[in-house]
Amino acid sequence: MAGIELLSDQGFRVDGRKANELRRIQCRLGVFTQADGSAYIEQGNTKILAAVYGPHEIRGSRSKALHDKVLVNCQYSMATFSTGERKRRPRGDRKSKEMTMHLQQTFDAAILTSLYPRSQIDIFVEVLQSDGGNYCASVNAATLALIDAGIPLKDYVCACSASFVNDKPIMDISYLEESSGGAELIVATLPKSEQIVFLEMNSRLHEDNLSHVLDMAVKGCKDIHDVLDQAVREHVGEVAAISGLE
Amino acid sequence: MAADVKTAQPLQYYRKFIEKDVRPDERTLEEFRPTVLNIGCVTTAEGSALVKLGNTTVMCGIKAEIASPKTEEPKKGYIVPNVELGPLCSILFRPGPPGDQAQRLSQFTNDVITHSCCINKEDLCIVPGKYVWVLYCDMVCLNYDGNISDACVLALLAALKNTSLPKVVWDEDTETIETDHNTTTQLNIICEPVSSTFSIFDNEVLLVDPTVEEESLSTGEVTIVTIDDKICMIRKPGGSPLTPQQLDLCINRSFIRSQEVIRLIQETLNSVDR
Amino acid sequence: MKMSEQKSGSQNVLRLMVCEMAHLSRPDGSATTFQGDTCVMTSVYGPTEVRMAKEQIDRTTVEVVYKPKSGLPSCAEKSLENIICNTCENILLGNAHPRSAINITVQEVQDSGSFTACCINCCCLALLDAGIGMKCTMAAVNCCIDNEENIIVDPTRKEEEQSQAVLTFAFDSKDKNIITVITKGKYSQQQFQKCLVLCRDASDSVFKFYRETMEKKLSKT
Repeated sequence: MAGIELLSDQGFRVDGRKANELRRIQCRLGVFTQADGSAYIEQGNTKILAAVYGPHEIRGSRSKALHDKVLVNCQYSMATFSTGERKRRPRGDRKSKEMTMHLQQTFDAAILTSLYPRSQIDIFVEVLQSDGGNYCASVNAATLALIDAGIPLKDYVCACSASFVNDKPIMDISYLEESSGGAELIVATLPKSEQIVFLEMNSRLHEDNLSHVLDMAVKGCKDIHDVLDQAVREHVGEVAAISGLE
Repeated sequence: MAADVKTAQPLQYYRKFIEKDVRPDERTLEEFRPTVLNIGCVTTAEGSALVKLGNTTVMCGIKAEIASPKTEEPKKGYIVPNVELGPLCSILFRPGPPGDQAQRLSQFTNDVITHSCCINKEDLCIVPGKYVWVLYCDMVCLNYDGNISDACVLALLAALKNTSLPKVVWDEDTETIETDHNTTTQLNIICEPVSSTFSIFDNEVLLVDPTVEEESLSTGEVTIVTIDDKICMIRKPGGSPLTPQQLDLCINRSFIRSQEVIRLIQETLNSVDR
Repeated sequence: MKMSEQKSGSQNVLRLMVCEMAHLSRPDGSATTFQGDTCVMTSVYGPTEVRMAKEQIDRTTVEVVYKPKSGLPSCAEKSLENIICNTCENILLGNAHPRSAINITVQEVQDSGSFTACCINCCCLALLDAGIGMKCTMAAVNCCIDNEENIIVDPTRKEEEQSQAVLTFAFDSKDKNIITVITKGKYSQQQFQKCLVLCRDASDSVFKFYRETMEKKLSKT
C-alpha cells in the first residue's frame, strides 16, 4: 500500500510500537452476573466480551450429544457498530461461521472434554469494537471466561498474530497492518508445553521466512500468557479476599 | 437455609421481605439500582454509550449511513432502533432470529423516539428528495438482570447525545456527495425522554426497577416515559388492575427519576468533554 | 345494539357500536365488532391443546395472533399481540384450565380510529361467546387530546392523526380499575387524569352494550 510506511527505518510502526511489542492489553474477569464465567479484553482498540455457560444439559437436538465428551458450542458475533462500515449481519454470514468453527476446534482441544460426557459448554463471544486481531482477542477472552467459570483446561490458550514487513517479522498486527496485503500468520498455543492448537496463514510468505514469523508469533503468545496469568491471579486474590478465604 | 427457601418457594421468600417494606437486595420498594453511564466508548461508531443499571448492562452504538428518503417525506431522515437479546446475556435466550421480547423492545424504543420527537428528522436531511442520513441504533444487551426497557432508553438517549455526523457537501455540477470526516457536527437533541419501569407484585405492591427474579414473580408491569414535566408514554399491557391513585404514585416517582437521570447524563457528558 | 352517534361538539359520547357473534362456524367463539367505521373480527379456540414448550402447569396459556389488513406482520404487530394477550390473561380464570391453551386470532378489517380499544372489546365479546370462564369483563375506550387541548373520547382516524396525544384505557367491570393503559404523544399529568375520568365514565356505556348484546344473543336461542 503506497503512502503508509508500516515499519519505519528506526523500527517504529504506525502506532508507535516496535516490531516485537504487543498492543496494550487490559482485561477483567467476572464482569457479568448471569453467565457462569465472563471476561472482557481490550487489545489496543479491539474490544471483546466473552461469556461461558456450562457445563449444562444439551439444548436443542439431543442427537448432538457425545457419549464420552462434552459438546463445545461457540457463537461468534460482531456488533453492528463494531466496524467502520455498519455490519448488516452480526452473525450467520460466512466469516462469522468460519470464526465460530475455528474457536470451537481450538477449545475442543484445550478443555478436558472427557470430564463432562453428554453435556454442553456454551462460549459466546461478542466483538464490540474491531481493530484487527479479532480471532486472537476472542481466544484470549474465551480462555479467561473459561477460567472464570471454573472449567478445567489443559493450559491457558493464548493466541497471537504476526506478519512480515520490510524483511522483518512483526508481532500483533492491527487492522491497518492486516489490510495492507502482507502475510498474516495467526497461531494459538498452549504456552507451557509450547504446543500449537491452531494455526492459520493468509497471503504469501516465502518458506525461508516462515520459521522467523512463527517464532515471533509463539513469543507473542508467551507474552500474552504472562499478562493473562497476572490478571487471573489478581482476580482470584480479590475474590478470595471477599469470600473470606486466605 | 435462606437459599433453600429462595429456590423452593420464591414467592414466600419475597413476601417476607416486602412485608417489611424492603427487598432482598436491600433496596426500598421505591429505590432504583445504582446507574453507571459511560459515553463514547466505541470509537468505530458515530455515537455510543454503555449503561449499567445494577447488573443489567446495555451497550448502544449508533452508525450513520446515507440513503434515499421515503417518497412521502422527502425532507426527513430516519432512525432505526434495534434491540438484541442474545444468548450471551442470559440463559433465557436461545441463539437465532430475534424473539418476541427483542421485537417488542425494538418497537418500544421506536415509539419512544417517534412520540417524544427528541430529534427533528429534518435535521438529518442532506439533499431534499435525494440523500438523507439514516441512524441505525443498535442496542446489545450484555447482561440481563431485569428492567431492560429503562436501560435501553437511557443508553439510546446517551448515545444520541454523543453522536456527531460528518459534514457532507453536495456538488450540484457533478451530482455527487462528498463526506468530510474531519469536520463533524453534534446531533441536536430537542428533549430527553427518560423511562421508569414498575412491576406489580401480588396484585398490590409496586416495585420500582425490578430485577430478573422480581420480573418472573410479578403479576404486571407499568412503564412510564417522561420528558421534563410532561408524560410521553404510559405502557401497562394488561397485568393486575391498578387504581388511579396507584398510577399517580408511579407517575410522580418517574418525574423524580427523570431529573436524576438527566443530571447523571449531564455530569457524564461534562466529564467526557474534560 | 346501537348507541347514539357522535355529534360534533359532544365529547363524551361513543360512536355507534354494533356486534355480530357466533357467525363463524369452526371457532369455539367469534365476534365482529363495529365502532363507528372501525371494524375488527376475532375468533377464539379454547381450551385446547398446548405445545410442550409453552405449557404452564397451573394456568392456561393465552396465545394471540394479530393479522393486519395488508402486509406481513412486523414488530408493531407483535407489540399489539402482547398487549391483547396480557389484557385477556388478566380477566380469564386461568386456573380453571391448566396445561391448556386459548388461541385468540384478531383480524383487522378497517381502522378508522380507536383501533386498540375496538380490538380489546372484540376479544372480550369473542371470549364471552366461547363461554370461557372469566373473572369479569373488560371495556376499552380510546381518547385523544387535540391541538386545542380538548379531550375527544372515541376519536375518528382523522382526529387521531391531528391530535397531540392518543390514550387507550381498559377497565375491568368489578371496580373499574385500570387493566391496561397505552398512550402515544406528550401530555401533562392533569390531562392524563382528566382523560382517565372521562374514559372511565364512557366505559359504562360499553359494559351496557355487552349486556344488551348477550341478552339479544341468548334470547334468540
